[in-house]
Amino acid sequence: MKRILCTLALCTVPFLSACKKSGEAAGGDDQLTIAFLPKSKGNQYFVTCEKGARAAATELGAELLFDGPTTSDPAKQNEIVENWISLGVDVIAAAAENKDGLSTALRKAQAEGIKVITYDADAQPDARTFFVNQATEKGIGDALLDNAAALVGKEGEFAIITANLTASNQNAWIAAIKARQAELYPNMKLVDIKPCDDLKDKAQQETTNLLSAHPNLKAVISVCSPGVPGAAEAVKQAGKTGVVKVVGLGLPSENKAYVKEGVTQAVILWKVEDLGYLTIQAAAALAKGELKPGATEFKAGKLGTMKIEGDNILLGTPFAFTKENIDQFDF
Amino acid sequence: MTAAKSTKAPFFRHEFVLVAVIVLEVILFQALGRRFLDGSNVSNIFRFSVEVGLLALAMTPVILTGGIDLSVGSMMGLCAVCFGMLVKDASLSPWVAAVLSIGIGTVGGGLNAFLIARMKLPPLIVTLGTFSLFRGLAEALTKGSKSYSAFPDSFLALGNSTVAGLPAQLWIFFLVAIGIWLLVHRTTLGRSFRAIGYSPEGSRYAGIPVERNLSLAYILTGAVAGLAAVILVARLGEARANAGIGYELLAITAVVLGGTSIFGGSGTIAGTLLGFLAVAILNNGLKRMQDYEIFDKTIASVSNEMSGMLTGLLLLVALAAVPVVKAITARRAKS
Repeated sequence: MKRILCTLALCTVPFLSACKKSGEAAGGDDQLTIAFLPKSKGNQYFVTCEKGARAAATELGAELLFDGPTTSDPAKQNEIVENWISLGVDVIAAAAENKDGLSTALRKAQAEGIKVITYDADAQPDARTFFVNQATEKGIGDALLDNAAALVGKEGEFAIITANLTASNQNAWIAAIKARQAELYPNMKLVDIKPCDDLKDKAQQETTNLLSAHPNLKAVISVCSPGVPGAAEAVKQAGKTGVVKVVGLGLPSENKAYVKEGVTQAVILWKVEDLGYLTIQAAAALAKGELKPGATEFKAGKLGTMKIEGDNILLGTPFAFTKENIDQFDF
Repeated sequence: MTAAKSTKAPFFRHEFVLVAVIVLEVILFQALGRRFLDGSNVSNIFRFSVEVGLLALAMTPVILTGGIDLSVGSMMGLCAVCFGMLVKDASLSPWVAAVLSIGIGTVGGGLNAFLIARMKLPPLIVTLGTFSLFRGLAEALTKGSKSYSAFPDSFLALGNSTVAGLPAQLWIFFLVAIGIWLLVHRTTLGRSFRAIGYSPEGSRYAGIPVERNLSLAYILTGAVAGLAAVILVARLGEARANAGIGYELLAITAVVLGGTSIFGGSGTIAGTLLGFLAVAILNNGLKRMQDYEIFDKTIASVSNEMSGMLTGLLLLVALAAVPVVKAITARRAKS
């Protein structure tokens, strides 16, 4: 028995010597340690965020810790943050899956002198200093309608596909679209708003109905992501490719095929990589004391000067993914 | 020869293998991890795992009887939601709500007990049913999305403060551990659990009130699941239907790793505590290994994801260790 134990112990020696530290211990030196928390680790959206975050960390010479939940256990984000607190990181940048739950852990980090910033999905305002806001309601509404208007020559009928009629995000974007239309495009007319329950099939069915009910329809705008490919499929099957334009809010990867076929003209979203980049730039500046509450603008490396409204750092106007550029993005 | 054998005997014990595993883990993580044995991290190890530890403690008597309770994680979800509703919608004091939540857990455990002990239905099937039933109830009550938060600080302290140098909830864990240890190892009721697991029919002929004692084991897991839910809510500051998802399997892993036979009849609370500690240390240590290269491959991005794989390996190796060592020594003794 003793011999077996000795053998086991000896076996671990080469393993130990094969491992080596490739980074310095956190908090032990002048190097800034930034912890970056996604809602979930496997999601392509956050993998892309991380890419931008890594680029910013390399530029700044900061160490980046990236960790996030891999399961739906709501306690996981808190555990990761508490783990970072005990590691003594300088600043935490977090996207909250459970707003209130994560805020408990973030407040604790602040009490320990760690700076906290949120991105993508905000926590409670008292649990962080700034929120990096990827897009305002007006920004999204304007971008959707401006793109659609440019495609239809600023006149004609259009319809909207939404998630459901009570969704607060979607309703705010629709309100922004309506306001923009009244202000800038008097010759355009919103004929209908249809809910798709966040289902692609339902969106397809509703769009088919819209196409037959409104033969003069020029454009369909989807304000929910499953609605974009759903509307595109309906337009394609009705043989109206190019006649009825499709514009919507969604991930480029989900719409690539339709965009390349010319069914969908524009997919609107922020540049996710830039969101990660800006978040890390802001986190580092906050930790160094260069970015303070009350600031109205912030210089974020290669992105240039970004606007700050209240405690929201704005990523700026959303980006339109079209036939010409969609191949450059993989999220 | 016999004298030599008896001094060697402790080496064969499963608990010894677990202590060796724990020591090895601590040495490895201290050498490779960042500030692993730092005071705040050591208290984190316990703070994060107390809920699973409580479930494992309460699960031990059930498994000793040859049964199983898959519903404890779901029960935590239901109790967490009920707790949130009692505090936020019924405006009760969190402490009253905590007691009521433990009561709800007890009633849920009672349902399992009735179906298993009285109706004589198989525990695996019954608790698989209540596993869905309790989680489903929690989701239905909140429509899957509603969550309760903003609990008073005095209550959140239960999950986040330190009492006499240790996480507050760890003291509750100690109390429950001592209570269940006394129950299992120092009472006739506790001894009857093993007897029932060893032979239910034999126990009945021996005059053990099998139905009553079996019921008590399941009612106890329900009550402890309620307590674990309250502690989890106090730690997170949020009560949601998805609280405790997957915890039942973590608890069962700790119990089985601790040497309790899944067929019932044998096992100890000390073993469960060691099994629980081995898993808790493993999961925490992996989180602190961020920037290492093993054989020139960076494992930074996978260390956390390896916890599932390594927990599985640990379970299989620890379970195989004792029989393998016994077989080897038996062969050597023959030759």
